[in-house]
Amino acid sequence: MEEIKLIVDGKRLDGRDFEELRPIKIEAGVLKRADGSCYLEMGKNKVVAAVYGPREVHPKHLEDPSMAIVRYRYNMAPFSVEDRKRPGPDRRSIEISKVSREALEPVIMKELFPRSAIDIFVEVLQADAGSRTACLNAASVALVDAGIPMKGMVTSVAVAKVDGVLVLDPMKEEDNYGEADIPFAFLIRNGKIESITLLQMDGRVTAEELRRALELAKKGAMQIYQLQREAIMRKYIKEEEVVE
Amino acid sequence: MPEDILMEIKKDYVLSKLRDGERIDGRRLDEIRPIEIRTGLIAKAEGSALVRLGNTMVVAGVKMQPGEPFPDAPDQGIIITNAELVPLASPTFEPGPPDENAIELARVVDRGIRHSEAVDLSKLCIEEGEKVWMIFIDIWALDDDGNLMDASALAAIAALLNTTVPAERFEVGDNFPLPVRDLPVAITSLVFEDKILVDPCRDELSIGKNTITITTDQNDNIVSIQKSGPFLLSEKVFDRLIDLSIAKAKEVRRLLKDV
Amino acid sequence: MISRKIVLPGDLVSTNPKTAGPGTYVEGGKVYARVLGLLDKTDLGVRIIPLKGRYIPSVGDTVIGIVKEVTANGWIVDINSPYIAFLPIPENPAMKPNRKPNDILDIGDAIIAKVMNIDPKMKVTLTMKDKLCRPIRVGRIVAINPTRVPRVIGKKGSMIKLLKSELDIQIIVGQNGLIWLNGDRRKVSIAEEAIYIIEQEAHTEGLTDRITEFIKKRKVELGLAEPEEVEKTETEQAEAPEVGEEEKTDSESKAEDVRR
Repeated sequence: MEEIKLIVDGKRLDGRDFEELRPIKIEAGVLKRADGSCYLEMGKNKVVAAVYGPREVHPKHLEDPSMAIVRYRYNMAPFSVEDRKRPGPDRRSIEISKVSREALEPVIMKELFPRSAIDIFVEVLQADAGSRTACLNAASVALVDAGIPMKGMVTSVAVAKVDGVLVLDPMKEEDNYGEADIPFAFLIRNGKIESITLLQMDGRVTAEELRRALELAKKGAMQIYQLQREAIMRKYIKEEEVVE
Repeated sequence: MPEDILMEIKKDYVLSKLRDGERIDGRRLDEIRPIEIRTGLIAKAEGSALVRLGNTMVVAGVKMQPGEPFPDAPDQGIIITNAELVPLASPTFEPGPPDENAIELARVVDRGIRHSEAVDLSKLCIEEGEKVWMIFIDIWALDDDGNLMDASALAAIAALLNTTVPAERFEVGDNFPLPVRDLPVAITSLVFEDKILVDPCRDELSIGKNTITITTDQNDNIVSIQKSGPFLLSEKVFDRLIDLSIAKAKEVRRLLKDV
Repeated sequence: MISRKIVLPGDLVSTNPKTAGPGTYVEGGKVYARVLGLLDKTDLGVRIIPLKGRYIPSVGDTVIGIVKEVTANGWIVDINSPYIAFLPIPENPAMKPNRKPNDILDIGDAIIAKVMNIDPKMKVTLTMKDKLCRPIRVGRIVAINPTRVPRVIGKKGSMIKLLKSELDIQIIVGQNGLIWLNGDRRKVSIAEEAIYIIEQEAHTEGLTDRITEFIKKRKVELGLAEPEEVEKTETEQAEAPEVGEEEKTDSESKAEDVRR
């Protein structure tokens, strides 16, 4: 394994503290045709999410008579990474799409729209570490922007273990050379973390580190949640109605 | 996917028993089904294992051949894991390229082996930067009575333990046993409200395919986690799952020592 | 002066489950918003006025639809919703014995109909047995975001009244965001422009006044009126109703035939 110091003088390579997020920029409602959309930057990640629906299900046999089906497509543009990525879904994208869909499904009130589909498409235009978490954050804002009924918002962030310490929201080098990567997503309701909706992990951590990672992720998620809210408010604030 | 009607019928029964803290097959909530591991059954493979986990049955085969190393790891062997949910294993499996479930299965098994560093890949270099050993792990589901994940992970590591590197066939030295130095074990639990059902069988999954797989190494480190299924996981349940999975993995790992 | 603030899914809007209204859900004895919208909270209840979202049919709604398919039993109608609707032959009074369904309504025809029934699987059945219902052969259809329909109708139908009195045209508003306009071509155009403004500025203050001004200005520009000729309308008086009455008055006015 390469010897790369990821923590130097108590700081990370990009100058961040252990519990500091990368810069985040969120803009809601950026696409005209979609029912809801969001552009999001998280570090060097640049992603766009679109939501269509509830709408008719095609192909028909996928219809569920009792609820809406939710589909999620995580897709990387060929130019999003150093070496051109062949277009179309690879195994990694398919897995990310699955777990991301499952992170949103229990939050979306699917039972309100039988026999319909809610389609979520997220395109990674530029990839950095944690693109799945960036995409989920964008998708969550796009769902709200589309007027989809939900229990709350979904907010996602990863924790990594690098040079023996836990750090929030890892960037590329920390992801590549770190000891573990743990992406989380949470259902946040009324400013409170209610439950975990996405949880993966690869690398090597102790049980105690895993528990601390969860706490760290929760802190980070609360900050992102505020930014998600602000992005939606910015778009709709002009709608606030004054009644005499 | 064709609907498995029988699953729906079983659901009420499973839920009713669960309300009294019981499982339909009489197991304790944290009890794993009987495990049987047979190795070396495929003579053509470099290593193989058949695992029965209750009625769930999986065979894993290991094939090896020399190949080019990845540029960022010129002296390391390569592991490639694939899983096929072949139609003979379940009425709900269909022919065709691996779907998201098969891909997830393969990738979770792969992560367990990779991050526990079960195989000493540095001993699989033939010529640095030119030629290293490639390990292909192929997981074949034969009967899906629930929890293919744990059965597959077990079959994969058992097959690796059984593997002989075929150096002579490729004229790169003498055959030698694959250097396996850790024993990752995956423990999958079904989560239903605040209840945790370790090693769910197919009928139990009728109440929701909401599972967590936690893979640990022989030092009780966690090397892989996968939440699978559209559900909300409470922090409390997650916390209990950590220690439970470590403890259960220890039990299963003992069986691997005899392989 | 109170403001209706914007709420997001999951925001706590009440601790009294009995007050839970449209756009909310109850869990653990608390009432939360389930959609992005404006909080409308009174002593009687709490509801969220959605700001976005597709049209989901509801029994009694007036809708404008386009015939997609003609079958032996009736017509399949696209109502700008996730759910395709069906108009059975007996529900179309124009249907006479010895006539084929496609003689009465053909693919591509637009109709004004009412939602008669919705089954639990969201199979939507329409009827045209209402004086409001008709095939649309003339005029123009305008499409807006369905969540803005109540604004186009206005409080106690004020906005519609304004449009019709100022422009002397026929207007029928479908709850599904499609609006039928009929009358003088230029006046219909002014109405269409006005409707887009209402859609854009739905929740802003003094909208009725601005629309009144806009219509007057456009009428003058198109040579439909002299500046002095435009009379003052009674819209200001319709502008300040009680909060919370809106739902009821909207549903009353939405079925209103505003032909003059």
